[in-house]
Amino acid sequence: MIKLREVSVTYRGNLVEALKNITTVIPGNVVSCIMGPNASGKTTMLKAIAQLVDYEGRIEFNEKDAKEMVKTLRRMLSYVSAIDVRELLGVTVLDLLIYSRYPISEKFLTTMKDIEESVKTAETLNIKHLLHRKVNELSSGELQRVLLASALVRRPEILLLDEPESHLDMRSKIWLSGFLKSISNNATIVLSTHDPYFASLTCDYLILLSKGRLVFSGTREHLLQNPEVLEEVYNTPFTTVKIGGYEILVSVPLES
Amino acid sequence: MHRELIVKTTIAFSTLIASIVLPIAYTYFSSINQDLPETILSYRLHRSIYSVLAGVVLASSGCMLQSTLRNPLVDHHILGVGAGALFAVYLSFLLHGFSSLFMIALAASAGGLFALFLSVAIAEIMSGSDAAYVLSGLGVTSMFSGLSILLLYYVAPRYGPASLMLTGSFIHSRKDMMPYVLAPAVFMIISYFALAKKMNTVVIGDDYALQLGVNPRRIRLATALIVGVSSSLIVSMFGMIGFIGLVTPHMARLFLKTSDNRLVIPLAMGFGSLLLYITDSLSRMVVAEVLGEVPAGAVTSAIGAPFFLILLVKRLRGVQH
Repeated sequence: MIKLREVSVTYRGNLVEALKNITTVIPGNVVSCIMGPNASGKTTMLKAIAQLVDYEGRIEFNEKDAKEMVKTLRRMLSYVSAIDVRELLGVTVLDLLIYSRYPISEKFLTTMKDIEESVKTAETLNIKHLLHRKVNELSSGELQRVLLASALVRRPEILLLDEPESHLDMRSKIWLSGFLKSISNNATIVLSTHDPYFASLTCDYLILLSKGRLVFSGTREHLLQNPEVLEEVYNTPFTTVKIGGYEILVSVPLES
Repeated sequence: MHRELIVKTTIAFSTLIASIVLPIAYTYFSSINQDLPETILSYRLHRSIYSVLAGVVLASSGCMLQSTLRNPLVDHHILGVGAGALFAVYLSFLLHGFSSLFMIALAASAGGLFALFLSVAIAEIMSGSDAAYVLSGLGVTSMFSGLSILLLYYVAPRYGPASLMLTGSFIHSRKDMMPYVLAPAVFMIISYFALAKKMNTVVIGDDYALQLGVNPRRIRLATALIVGVSSSLIVSMFGMIGFIGLVTPHMARLFLKTSDNRLVIPLAMGFGSLLLYITDSLSRMVVAEVLGEVPAGAVTSAIGAPFFLILLVKRLRGVQH
């Protein structure tokens, strides 16, 4: 369980308020989702939870103040965002997975355990055949899986994903959705997304942000019953559609 | 994959140890049978130790700069550290004479760090891209090289080896240079153990390193200081030796098929010391018979510069290796 109490983030010497007084509780061991249009503060909120930006207010993990447990947090929390692959010096997928074990590997050199865990994680994500490929030569779909593997390779209790479904084709999106749900028994997952369809398919708990303010937080059922909240934020009508036992959110253009 | 790891680790470290020990041992045993005077034996031995250790320092400098700046096109020479340090050395020759190695080393460190700061600052103002670093380094190098050549008119008549330092040479090796070569080499090996693992995370990205608990800014600053001072000390004794730092990390990465600095740095150090020892020996033995002794730095530049151009073209066309 992650508690945020009056969390505010300002960038560039108090000029830009990216998050304003966010108070909410993100439940443990489910997939939660932060939604909102561009520049609504989704990434900033994830970064604040990951303790990567300075913030005012208080963030608690299982009732403990995050600022007092940053070191422990580095071992139990993974944050995944897009990386600039052009800048990599021929890093292979195996390299990336081994580097990602940094907080929990105590030896200076790579150990057998580092390699075993990396291979095991690669197997669960079906990327074992990519281990010796260079990261900058992967397709964007492959890269997304590799980044997910790099987060899971140290068995985090908290997994934060910044737009994990971007650049994925439909089949991979559905695979990712199922995969995240399947691992949520062992980890608290928070992701940010633009895509209401992906969010309604994947997440049990949703948070809606608009211009840095919290507009809605609640269960998926709650949001599905009130799709007009989304309309307020995105300025375009939303509706809930039932397909084969799934209820998903879709947006349709206004009739002109 | 386990065996692969063991093999790669063994290769990296044994190459490093072998390439330090063998050249020095070879020089010693091949000279001792020739019934040479004590002074010449000592000169040869010191010269071989210096070329080997300079290789270690310059190669690891290249690895560290490339990793922390996330740029495969840089080393201490490209970023102007060599030129800045050499200018400061000439300046110190003029102001303090040639006797105090300590003053020379101190001036070189200051000059090298200043040049590094200048080229990184200018590159970041331009755009921070790979090409920006190369261009800003070129500018800084040109400026300090020009100034160095101006000073050389006053320095060269009074101290012969000064002009050799423009390309880098071990000809004027002296016994008392030992601490100024040994110190940066030991410093580099300590920093390797302290920083290599952290550098790996910085290569991937700043946010990535931060979430793993590594402060990328602190690593970059530490690396800049370590590399700036260590490579400047080598320059202050032997002059500008280009391209060893650029080429060896790529050779090591290509050979090991990984970019893990924990293995790349020791192997690059090994390659660096071998390359520099061989080029120095070649320029002493083979070329010397035809032309008279040629500075080792000229040989490394002649071999390294085409490699740099290939790398530049590949990189800026968007293809790596």
